[in-house]
Amino acid sequence: MTFTIREPKQTETETEERRRLYMELENCIGCRSCLAACTQCGGHEQKNRNYVYDVNPLVNRETMPLMCLHCVDPACARSCPAQAIQIHETGAVLSALVEKCIGCQNCTIACPYGIPKFDEEENLMYKCDLCIDRTKDNIPPMCASVCPTNTLQWLTESEIEVKQSKNDVGNDKWVTSMPYLEGETNVTVNLPGILQGTVKLF
Amino acid sequence: MQRDKFFREIENVNHPNEKLVKTHCSYCGMQCGMNLRVNTITNKIVGVEPRYDWPVTVGKMCPKGVTAYQQTNHKDRILRPLIRDDKSLKGTKEGFREASWEEAYDLIAKNFKRLQDESGKDSLSVFSGVSMTNEKCYLTGKFARVAMGTRYIDYNGRFCMSSAAGGFLRSFGVDRGSTLPWTDIHETDCLFIAGSNTAECHPTSMFRVWAVQERGGYLIVADPRETPIARRADVHLDLRPGTDLALANGILHLLIKNGYTDEAFINKHTNGFDETKEIVKEFTPEFTSEITGVAVDKIERAAEIYGKAPNAIVMFARGIEQQHKGVDNVSAYTNMALVTGKIGRPKAGVATFTGQGNGQGGREHGQKSDLLPGYRKIYDKEAVEHVSGVWGINPEDMPQAGVSAYEMFELMTEKTIRGLYLLCSNPAVSAPNLNFVRNALKNLDFMVCSDFYLSESAEFADVILPSVTWSEDEGTVTNLEGRIIKINKAQEPLGESKPDWQIQVELAEKLGKGKHFSHLKTAKDVAEEFRLASKGGNADYYGATWDKIDEQDGVFWPCKDADDKGTPHMFLDKKFYHPDGKAKICALPYRPPAEEPCEDYPLRLTTGRVVYHYLSGNQTRRIKFLKDMCPDPYVEIHPKTAEKYNINHEEIVRLFTRRGESNYKVKITEAIREDTVFVPYHFGHEQSINLLTIAALDPISRMPEFKACAAQIEKLKSGKVL
Ligand code: SF4
Ligand code: SF4
Ligand code: SF4
Repeated sequence: MTFTIREPKQTETETEERRRLYMELENCIGCRSCLAACTQCGGHEQKNRNYVYDVNPLVNRETMPLMCLHCVDPACARSCPAQAIQIHETGAVLSALVEKCIGCQNCTIACPYGIPKFDEEENLMYKCDLCIDRTKDNIPPMCASVCPTNTLQWLTESEIEVKQSKNDVGNDKWVTSMPYLEGETNVTVNLPGILQGTVKLF
Repeated sequence: MQRDKFFREIENVNHPNEKLVKTHCSYCGMQCGMNLRVNTITNKIVGVEPRYDWPVTVGKMCPKGVTAYQQTNHKDRILRPLIRDDKSLKGTKEGFREASWEEAYDLIAKNFKRLQDESGKDSLSVFSGVSMTNEKCYLTGKFARVAMGTRYIDYNGRFCMSSAAGGFLRSFGVDRGSTLPWTDIHETDCLFIAGSNTAECHPTSMFRVWAVQERGGYLIVADPRETPIARRADVHLDLRPGTDLALANGILHLLIKNGYTDEAFINKHTNGFDETKEIVKEFTPEFTSEITGVAVDKIERAAEIYGKAPNAIVMFARGIEQQHKGVDNVSAYTNMALVTGKIGRPKAGVATFTGQGNGQGGREHGQKSDLLPGYRKIYDKEAVEHVSGVWGINPEDMPQAGVSAYEMFELMTEKTIRGLYLLCSNPAVSAPNLNFVRNALKNLDFMVCSDFYLSESAEFADVILPSVTWSEDEGTVTNLEGRIIKINKAQEPLGESKPDWQIQVELAEKLGKGKHFSHLKTAKDVAEEFRLASKGGNADYYGATWDKIDEQDGVFWPCKDADDKGTPHMFLDKKFYHPDGKAKICALPYRPPAEEPCEDYPLRLTTGRVVYHYLSGNQTRRIKFLKDMCPDPYVEIHPKTAEKYNINHEEIVRLFTRRGESNYKVKITEAIREDTVFVPYHFGHEQSINLLTIAALDPISRMPEFKACAAQIEKLKSGKVL
């Protein structure tokens, strides 16, 4: 069994392994608690920065969250002419700096997942900052804290590896980043199919 | 205590000039732990922070919980007592003027006295609820019987938990909603969940439910709709609304036939097996399938999985309980655990998903028409003597049993009941057959309503008393596990609002009964008296002091004294609460729903919740996030049915039954049976689906049949797609 080997994070402290956002889409029940929680993060000014979609609303109740994947080489930041989108040392791709953002919306177009939102009134972009005031101290982001189903989790590298060894059966349902996504990401996504490797108890 | 694999030590974020107050959610029976963020300069609640250290929910909350704090300082809060002099405005929001507490109390005392002088003690009534602390629930029962002196008290649990209570009492001799703690759920091997839209109604149970499947365990869900939990079930028993009893009997038939019974357990610890075996004999998979509409192979597969599972938990909710045979449904599903002996040990048992925050505690301590504190019966002479002692009254002065919630509206209509004190409930939305109920409220000579928002029911009141939200008072509630937990105060009451216990103490004085109440100066004082009143009853809270609750992360009742740590698992000694110590396996002949579809009303109407709203929506419809997510009700229809009626997605149609009608926007979905339509019930006025529902009551629990009646759809000429 092979694992994807990752470089250890620089910010890893001696006492506590750094954690990352990990998603299991199959668990989502569409409660949108993650959206409500996002408004509660310090500095979010009651505006949520994440999305939940009904996958097939006329057919069934399947839903999935769409979160910023915190790309290692983020298209939003690359496209920003004012260098307003900074990357935190933890890898979090931050929301545009208010004083730098010129409201050009390049980022909203550049992001392959449509994450950055635009506030028409303020003429400012805003996006998920991975609740940086929490995650800089390894405290789980608000959305992953409240998610009632563990669709959103805040896991250590080794916990993610255990998940991968169980769920990655080589059929593209385990999406950690390349080659499936645009580039390498700090967030790990598990598409529906997490039970495919499970052996029934009886 | 009970820290499991989901528990992690996580530090909370504490913002500058803020403190965190540990408490629980104001809404459902999950009672998720939460921290309220309080600004230390303004002393106002400003937000929420997860409570990672609460062992049941480890920081998780649904969107209602996340936004619950917004209730407290909401612009719609009622800040002073309101009086309406013009009776012609009853049933509207109009005509209220602000008044002092003194004036409001005097007016209430004067009218209560007048009505009782004219028509006797029992011309007054109390309609209460269980979304409040045990202390308030307890005192409301005492207030009705001692201060008002009436027999007519009942509560909204009749629309919620009464069938579960009736079923458990019959099967086990005791009504504790869960025989095991929630921290057992993810460790069982099979969950059999009937009539629970768990993902929307008790979302924070879901990480434990999914964990069962991740371990290789099984999930079986019985529901007419493919709800988010049914979507991922190993077996989805997509039954016709109102046919649960046949399904449960059918599963029992197979468990017996295929040798999954535990003979030793049956012989030693139960009664009634032989009669039950006889009754379920005819419920072959084919016969069961004919009644329920569930495919034969699904029924067989479900029985096989449950039968083979080393440990299994049978769980259910309002889907099976809100029927005119709700009590039978509860006992019938409970039979599954009793014939297989999957009960009375960790990871195996039976549980109901309690709907309201204190749906468990609130039904145990005297708000029910025939109950006294500690789950004592009001017909029981010894019980009356014990409680009279605590209350300082003559046992002869204890009023008799009254009638159930819906029956009170019947007595209002015929003028036996002329006055009402309503608190913590909104029956003008949540009761069935609303045209009748709203008329009953309108016909009252005098009505007082205590609430923190002007609810649809408050619109019928003569006097409105401003009560507090859960965050402005303290006390205990009993969550869906049977665990007594502590709600803490985070803010002083807004405006002139007061907690209901204080209102009752002050009003008792005006009613000339002050000596039975005036010693109760704090919520803690009420708690102390209440523990004493419950002492020795089945639901014994005597040992559950507030200190112990803090130390142990809650106390499971029964908890008899200081040394008793409480009872997380029931029946570990295989002793049930019937006099002979045995549980009862119940022989239950099938009955169809009270109203079956016919030519004029060919569809089955069922109702329920959405994740964004709580009960009548009086609270959640005012929270912007929740309202934006689900602003209006809708009717769910299968595409094939829609095609038959020639109606489209988002078209407005007229939905009607023999009792009422309303117009709803159509939501087309394949996730519902073709013969069934669904409407959520959280909405007021002309949007209430309860205008259409039927008041067919269960003979034991007096629960109305919210979950099944016959309906018809009409395409509107102007029903344009919006
Ligand atoms: S909180 Fe979790 S379950 Fe709910 S919508 Fe968001 S991701 Fe899905
Ligand atoms: S990580 Fe924080 S900012 Fe990003 S979506 Fe989640 S709650 Fe919002
Ligand atoms: S409504 Fe229920 S599930 Fe949602 S946060 Fe409150 S207690 Fe938890």
